[in-house]
Amino acid sequence: MLALAIDFARRFARNRAALVGFVLVIAVIGIALSAPWLFPRNPLRIVGRPEIWPFTTSRYLLGTDSLGRDIAAMIAYGARTTLLIGLCASLTATIIGISVGATAAYFGGWVDEILMRLTELFQTIPNLIFVLTIVSILGQKIEYVTIAVGIVTWTPIARLTRAEFMSLRDREFVQACRSMGMGNLRIMFGEILPNALPPVIVLSSLVIAGAVLFESAVSFLGLGDPNVSSWGGLIGDGRTLIRTSWYICAVPGMAIMLTVLALNLVGDGLNDALNPKLRDR
Amino acid sequence: MARFSRREFLLTTAGAALASHFSSPAAAAATPKSGGTLTATWGGFEPQSLFVPAGGGSSPYFTSTKVHERLLRLTVDLKFEPVLALDIKPAEDFRSYTIKLRDKVTWHDGKPFTADDVAFSAMDYWKPISAGVSLDALESAEALDPLTVVLKFKGPVPEFFLKSVLAGKSGLVIPKHIYAGSNIITNPINNTPVGTGPFKVKEWVRGSHVEYLRNDAYWNPGLPYLDRLVIRWWRDPASRSAAFEAGQLDIGTFNPIPMPDIARLTQGGKIVAETKGYSNSAWVTTIEFNQRREIFKKREVRQALMHGIDRQFIAETIFFGRAHPSIGAVPSSNSIFFAKDAQDYPFDVKKAAAMLDAAGYPVKGGSRFKLSLLSAGWFEENVKIGQYVKQAFEDLDITVDLSVPDRATSLKRIYTDYDYDVAISNNSGSIELIPSTTQYYTTDGIVKGAAFRNATGYSNPKLDELVAKMTVETDEAKRIALAKDFDRLASIEAPLLPMVDLEPVTIARADVRSHSTTADFMGESWAEIWLDR
Amino acid sequence: MRRIVIRRLAQIIPLIFAVIVLNFVLIHLAPGSLFDVMTAEQQVTDPAMLDQLRHTYGVDQPTWVQLAKYIWSVMRFDLGFSYRQNAPVLDVILQQLPATLILMLSATAVALLVGVTAGVLASVKVNSIWDNLISLGAVFFFAAPSFWLGIMMTVLFAVKFGWFPVGGMRTIGADHGAFADALDVMHHLVLPATALGLFYAATYARVMRASMLEVFRLDFVRTARAKGLSFGRVLLAHVMRNALLPIITLLGLQLGTMLGGSVVIEAVFSWPGIGSLLFDSVMSRNFPMVLGVLVLGSVLVAVCNATVDLLYMRLDPRIRAR
Repeated sequence: MLALAIDFARRFARNRAALVGFVLVIAVIGIALSAPWLFPRNPLRIVGRPEIWPFTTSRYLLGTDSLGRDIAAMIAYGARTTLLIGLCASLTATIIGISVGATAAYFGGWVDEILMRLTELFQTIPNLIFVLTIVSILGQKIEYVTIAVGIVTWTPIARLTRAEFMSLRDREFVQACRSMGMGNLRIMFGEILPNALPPVIVLSSLVIAGAVLFESAVSFLGLGDPNVSSWGGLIGDGRTLIRTSWYICAVPGMAIMLTVLALNLVGDGLNDALNPKLRDR
Repeated sequence: MARFSRREFLLTTAGAALASHFSSPAAAAATPKSGGTLTATWGGFEPQSLFVPAGGGSSPYFTSTKVHERLLRLTVDLKFEPVLALDIKPAEDFRSYTIKLRDKVTWHDGKPFTADDVAFSAMDYWKPISAGVSLDALESAEALDPLTVVLKFKGPVPEFFLKSVLAGKSGLVIPKHIYAGSNIITNPINNTPVGTGPFKVKEWVRGSHVEYLRNDAYWNPGLPYLDRLVIRWWRDPASRSAAFEAGQLDIGTFNPIPMPDIARLTQGGKIVAETKGYSNSAWVTTIEFNQRREIFKKREVRQALMHGIDRQFIAETIFFGRAHPSIGAVPSSNSIFFAKDAQDYPFDVKKAAAMLDAAGYPVKGGSRFKLSLLSAGWFEENVKIGQYVKQAFEDLDITVDLSVPDRATSLKRIYTDYDYDVAISNNSGSIELIPSTTQYYTTDGIVKGAAFRNATGYSNPKLDELVAKMTVETDEAKRIALAKDFDRLASIEAPLLPMVDLEPVTIARADVRSHSTTADFMGESWAEIWLDR
Repeated sequence: MRRIVIRRLAQIIPLIFAVIVLNFVLIHLAPGSLFDVMTAEQQVTDPAMLDQLRHTYGVDQPTWVQLAKYIWSVMRFDLGFSYRQNAPVLDVILQQLPATLILMLSATAVALLVGVTAGVLASVKVNSIWDNLISLGAVFFFAAPSFWLGIMMTVLFAVKFGWFPVGGMRTIGADHGAFADALDVMHHLVLPATALGLFYAATYARVMRASMLEVFRLDFVRTARAKGLSFGRVLLAHVMRNALLPIITLLGLQLGTMLGGSVVIEAVFSWPGIGSLLFDSVMSRNFPMVLGVLVLGSVLVAVCNATVDLLYMRLDPRIRAR
C-alpha cells in the first residue's frame, strides 16, 4: 500500500504544473485555516476609511472596500467560505453521482434507463439558472447555496461512475464474488467502487473548481449569504466602483482564478499520475 | 458637511440660472431650440409595462408620464400649475370641487379630450385603483359640460390635499373611449399607452429601450421641443456612467450613476448634477420595529436602538454624502410640513446601552437579546446599511441575524408575513403627508399584503385622531400645525422612523435645458426640455 | 439509420415533460409568488380586488390543477401569459431570444476559432514555448470567472481605450440600413462574446491538443505520411477531422452551461437577451416566464444534444459500422 502511494506521489510530482497547483491549494487551505489567528475580528466589521488602495498603508495591506472593511481579512475568511462550499458541494455531488452511476451500471435494464433519463434531465436544465432558482427558493444561506451547487454538478460524476462500473462489472473478479454469494451492495461498494474511484477522484477536483465558480457567480449576482464573507460577494460589491477602485473587483477575482487554476492543475496531475500511459505527452 | 457638498454640484451657470426660471412653458432664460433626440434613463430597471395603472413603482411611472398627463402639476416652488385643468375651485363647504378643463386637447388617436374622460378617470380609475384610500371620500364625478367636471365628496376635503392627489402619482387621466368596459389593470393597451401628452410611443424593444415620437397635435403650440425621446435601461450603474462619458446618454434621473462617479463626471462642466426636482417624491431609508414582538412594544427599546445607529456614517460612507440624517418622521425637503423640533436621536452608544439596561434588557451571557434584521434588497445601499446596522447592534451586545432578500421575498416578508424583528426599507413620500407618510403610522394603514404602509402593527389612538383631524381640516394654517404635531408625536413614539433622507440626483449633459423644473421631475411630461445643440 | 434518428429525437419528449414538472414544483415552493409582488407593488388593498386578481393570475386554484393546465397549454405551444410584462410569455421570449442566440453563436465561434487554432498550434509545436504559453493561457481563461473577465475587459477596452461600447446591443437612435446595423451589432458583440467564449476556448484548446496528439500516433496517420503526403494535407484531411470529434461532443454538451453563463454576461453588458429576462423573472417570481424560458432552453439543449449525437454517429466511422 505504502509503496503504491509513494509511486503515485512520485508520478504526480514529475508534473511541475501539478506541483505548483498543489502548493497553491495548500496555501489556500493554510490561509483559510489560519484566518482566525491572522484576523481575530469579524471580517465584516467596518474598521477604517473606505476605498483605501492596496499597498498604501501597512494596516490594510490589500486595502479597504466601499464600506471600510479590511479586504485582506475578507479574502482570508472568504477562503474558508470558498473551500467549505467547494468541498461540501462536491461531496454532495460525488455522493449523489456515485450512487446514481453505480446503481445504473450495476443493475442495468430499466433501472439504468430511468436513472440515465434523470441524469439527462439535470444535464439539460441550464445550470446557473437552476442554482439561482433553488437559492431564491430556499433562501440566501450558505447551506442552501452548497446544496444548490451540489444538485447541479453531480451529472458528470454519475456518467463517469457508470462508465467505469460498466467496464468493471463483467470482469472476472466480480463474477467470482458473485459466485461466492456476496450480496449486490457489498459487491458494488466493497469491490467495484474502490477500483472505479481513481478517475472519479480526478473529476471531483474539477467539480470543486466548478463549485467555486458557481458560488462566486451566485454571490456576484447578489444572492449570497450576507452573514459570511465571500470572494464572489466582494466582486459584486465592487462592481459600481470599477472606475476608481477596481482593485475591489480585481483582488478577489485573482483569488478565485488562482484557486480554480490550482485545483485544475492538481486535477490534471492526478489524471496523469493515475494514467501513466498518457504520461509521455 | 453633507449639506454643503450638495451646493458644490449646482455647477454650470446655466443650471443655476435655470433654477430660477421654471414657471410657464414658453418662458426660459434662453430661446429654446426645437429638434433633436434626447436619450434618457433612470437609476433602475425596465418596467414590466409602459403604463401600470395601479402604480407599479418608479419605472413605469417614468415611462407613462411622458404619454399620460394630469390635471395639475406642482412646481419646485410648491405652487400648482395648470396642465389639463385650467382651474380647480372648492365650494364654500369644501365638499365639492369644480374643475374647468383646457379646451382643444386631443388624445393621440385623434379623439377629443372631454370632461367625460376626467369623470371616468376619477370614478373608475383613481378611486378604485390608483389613489385608493386617498379618495375614499369621493362620492361622485359629474361632467356638467364638455369642459367642466364637478367632484362631490362625503365630507370637507382640504384644497392642498386634493390638488396634491390630482397632481401626484395617482392622478393620470386616461381615455374613457379606450378603457371603459375593460379591466383597466390588464388592458393590453397599457403596453402602448394612448394619452394627451407631448410624446407618443413609437416602439418598445424589450430589454433595451422605448422610443417616443413628438406629438405634433400637442395642445401647447410649439411644444414639445424634442423630435424624439428615447428611454433606455441598463442593469448596471457603471454602464450608465460609461454611457454618459461616451456621449450615448443625455440625462438620467434618480441616481443613475454610482455616487463616486459623480465628481469625476461633472469635472470639466460638460455634465451637471442637479438635486432639484425630487421634493414631491422624497425618498428616505426607514428602520421599522415589528411591534408584534414583545421587545419592541416598549418605546424605550425602540428609542435606544435609534440612538445606537450612526446615521451620519450611513449618509457619508454608504451614500457618499448624498443623503443626510433624518429628523423626525417627515423629510426635511418638505418645506411645508417639516417640523425642525421633532425628536432627534443623536448617535450615542453609551446612552443606548443605558436605556436598554433600564428597559430591562441587560447583558446576559454576552448578549442582551436576539433579533432578526431584514434589509430589503431592492437598493444596493440597503445591503450595506443592513451590514452596518448589524454591526451597530452587535456593538450594543445584541445578537443579530441578517438577511437581505430580493424584492419579491422582501415584500412578502415585510408586508404580508410580518416575518422580521427589525426591517430596513424605503419610502417615497409626497409633500402632502396623507396618505403616503401617515399610512405608516395609523391603525388603518395596517393592511396585510399591501406594501409600503404600516407593517409594524403600531396602533395609537392619539395619532389616529390627529390624522383624522388633518384629513378634514380645511384651514391651511391649522392643518400645518396638526401635521407638525403628528410629526412630533411620531418621532417620540418611533415605531418606525426614517434614518436618512436621500438626496437623489439627476445627471445631465450641460446642453440639456429646462429640466428639473417641477417638484417631481421624473414624473413630468418633459414637454419643455430642449437641446442646446 | 432513420429509426435511430427518430428514436433519438423521441427521447426528448419525456425529458421536456420532466423539466416542466420539476420547474413548476420548484417555483411553487418559493416564498413569495408573482401575485404577492404584483399586489404589493400595485398597492392593491381592497379584498374584493385582491380576490379578482387572484382569479385573474390563476393562483386561487390548487397547485395540481395549475400544473395540469400548464402542461396542457404547453402542448398547444401556449406558454402562458406574463402579467408582469402584460404580454404572452412566448412573445416576450421570442422577442429577446435572438439577442441571446446571437451572443451564444458568436461566443461559440470565438471559442472554436481561438480554441481549435490554439490547440492545433500547441499540438504541432508540442512542448515548445508556444505550447507552454498556450497551456498557461488556457488554464487562465478556464479559471477566471467570466463576469470578472467581462468587467476587466470593459474597464480596459471600453473605458480606457474606448475601442468598444460599454454595453447594449445597438447604438440607440441611429438609423442604420441593414448592413450598417449588422456592423453595429457586431461592434457591440465583441466584448460580451469574447468574455463568454474564452472559457470554452480554453477547454477546446486543451481537448484539441490532447486529441490531436492521440491521433498523431495512430497508425493511419503514419501510413499517410509514409505514403508521402505533405504534413499540411495530412493535418487537414485526416488528423483534424478525427481530432474534432471530441470537440463536437463537447459543443453540444456545453450549451446548457453557456445558457447559464449568458445570464451573467448579459447582466454585465446589459445585453437584451433571455438571460437577463430569466434573472429578472426569477427575482420577481414570475413563474410563467421562468418556466417558459427554462422549457425553451431545455428544448434547445435537448435538441442540440440529440443533433450532436447523430452528427457524431455520422462522423465517426467506427460507430457507423455498427
